[in-house]
Amino acid sequence: MGSFAPQAGGAPQVPRSPRYDRLTPDNCRRLHDASLSILERTGVVLHDAEAVERLAGAGARVTDDGRVHVPGELVEWALGVAPHTVTLHDRLGAPRLALEGDNVFFGPGSDCLHIVDHRTGERRMARLADTRDGVTLVDALPNMDFGMSMFLPSDVPPEMADREQMAIMLRHTTKPLVVVTYDVDAMLDAVAMAEAVAGGAEALRERPTIALYINVTRGLVHNGDSLRKLLILAERGLPALWIPVTSGGTTGPVTMAGNVALNNAGVLVGIVLAQLVREGAPVVIPGFGGDALDLRTMVDPYAEPDHRGVVPSLAHHYGLPMFSLAGGSDSKQPDQQAATDAALTMLVDALAGGHLIHDSGYLESGLTGSLAQLAICDEIAAWIRAAIGPVIIDDETLALDLVDALGPDGSFLEAQHTLDHYRERWYPSLIDRLSHSAWMSRGGATLGERATVRVEQLLARHQAPPLPEPAEQAIAEILNRAAATARTAPIP
Amino acid sequence: MSDELFAALRQAVIDGDAASAGTLAQQVLDTGVPPLAAIDNGLVPGLSWVGEEFGKGELFLPDMMLAARAMQKAMAILEPELQAQSAKRHVVGRVVIGTVKGDIHEIGKNLVGMMLSTSGFEVHDLGVDVAPDRFVEAAREHNADIVGVSALLTTTMAGQRTVVEALAAAGMRPGVKVIVGGAPASESWAAEIGADGYSEDAIGAVALARRLLGAEAAATA
Repeated sequence: MGSFAPQAGGAPQVPRSPRYDRLTPDNCRRLHDASLSILERTGVVLHDAEAVERLAGAGARVTDDGRVHVPGELVEWALGVAPHTVTLHDRLGAPRLALEGDNVFFGPGSDCLHIVDHRTGERRMARLADTRDGVTLVDALPNMDFGMSMFLPSDVPPEMADREQMAIMLRHTTKPLVVVTYDVDAMLDAVAMAEAVAGGAEALRERPTIALYINVTRGLVHNGDSLRKLLILAERGLPALWIPVTSGGTTGPVTMAGNVALNNAGVLVGIVLAQLVREGAPVVIPGFGGDALDLRTMVDPYAEPDHRGVVPSLAHHYGLPMFSLAGGSDSKQPDQQAATDAALTMLVDALAGGHLIHDSGYLESGLTGSLAQLAICDEIAAWIRAAIGPVIIDDETLALDLVDALGPDGSFLEAQHTLDHYRERWYPSLIDRLSHSAWMSRGGATLGERATVRVEQLLARHQAPPLPEPAEQAIAEILNRAAATARTAPIP
Repeated sequence: MSDELFAALRQAVIDGDAASAGTLAQQVLDTGVPPLAAIDNGLVPGLSWVGEEFGKGELFLPDMMLAARAMQKAMAILEPELQAQSAKRHVVGRVVIGTVKGDIHEIGKNLVGMMLSTSGFEVHDLGVDVAPDRFVEAAREHNADIVGVSALLTTTMAGQRTVVEALAAAGMRPGVKVIVGGAPASESWAAEIGADGYSEDAIGAVALARRLLGAEAAATA
């Protein structure tokens, strides 16, 4: 048997992608130099005293206007000590996702406000049951490699929503998780829950099952909560996704190069800070960016082409683990556009070696999620894995003896070699290639309709193994304590 | 003669041509055309046209900004004469705008502020992470007709209700209208917290503000 059989059971295999590099090494050096120049000349605004002190203590200049000017040598030092790989583990502590080289892994996004309900086609506010269904589906789908919350539940108190999502994710999938929390306390609770499942703080540090997603205000302005989160995670040695966002034409230059250079300056500050707290602290940097609002509609598009591959090139230039964005659509329904948006963006990001690629199943530029769309993205991921995997060329696969034995006009259908290897070819689960009559006899369903059926089937039969009782208890205690605190907290 | 001048001013605003707008404004003064007429018949229709085309998705936000800049250039030249004649330019309404406490998202709020101000509203932008009391103080200080409250997060949107309540506690409701916006906000949310309106985008916010003030004018007329 060949070593590449993506449809086989068990853990998804890691395709080594033939990398598509949008930028040349010279491009990358120029962007990096521009970022250093921005840091030294313009500086950043950091809304956290400890972060400013740490940088100042390491040689950064703090000017009267409060801006922190970070010297290039400090950045180069940090890039030299930051780890070049981060490995995320599954619930049982087995290593699953090595964020390095050209590895690519797919997963959903987080916190959609709405869902297009696959049962009714209706767009409505998302509920906690949708989060559970989404995470269960991620667990069931063979090509979704990690979990995120997918939906922001509207039927729980807002201040508890992120903790409730965390509990659901830990219960309903064994896959590694990317975790989004609002504030520092919620992040600490999420970490505590993950520790309870992993078997303690030490176990979670050694075999992290979670990476914590920190959304930073903009390239050169970092909010206090984000900085606190980064410093705490660095101290604890847990993977932080440090993701400043700069929107071309509004919070940064409209031109791709200027936008990427500016945002990258903010990325570099995060790397420096984490390494100052603890050399070797795991930081995952953006594999997306350089985007812009649609200046006709003011929508923030998710599937636009022009910046694809740019930031992944830069992240590869640094040799650092990255968190990318593909599979999301700007369409309102899981329709033709949604499938096109998802397929194109996922393919480019996979070719670009985007490591941890999130936002499968997003519609409406991230405001709405769809389980049917997630199932379609899973199929696209399978297709991509088959399309970019290595080709095995050896005596067995060349089969020269067989070719000679059967001769120029031989039939290969009955050969043992065919029986041995035919399963190595890729077969779709959702994509249709039946004859017209066979397709009609099976109901003549569209891709969207078939995806809906698949979602229903998987949700009906799949359930992740339950958590051990002590972990369940610990999670319940954390939720109860947080809920009690929220009830007694003053109205802001 | 002045009709031609008005048409040229209108076109200069549409083209976003600040230099021409300035030259034409100077011609208005040199030829003794009343500045207010030049504004109402030249500049404002030009800007309105650009706003409408933007609303239809035909033009880009930077087109709006260039048009606004051309208008400002002309206004800067007409303004002194306007004051000398003690003619007052019509302000559609006064708006205080900001993002709620605990929320630092600004892009949407900035767009609404810009659209309102290019549409003839006097806009006072309080920035982000604004405490309820600041909204109240600013509304009082600027004699605001409308307070616009932005929130991007489900965790901070409750702050929109707090602003409505703070204005009520200060005895400024329902005289001062409250409009809300941001990804988690909605028509029903606005109704639930007792705000006067919601819009999902900046163009809609201008229409909403106009509607609220129009309704007010009709009620007090």
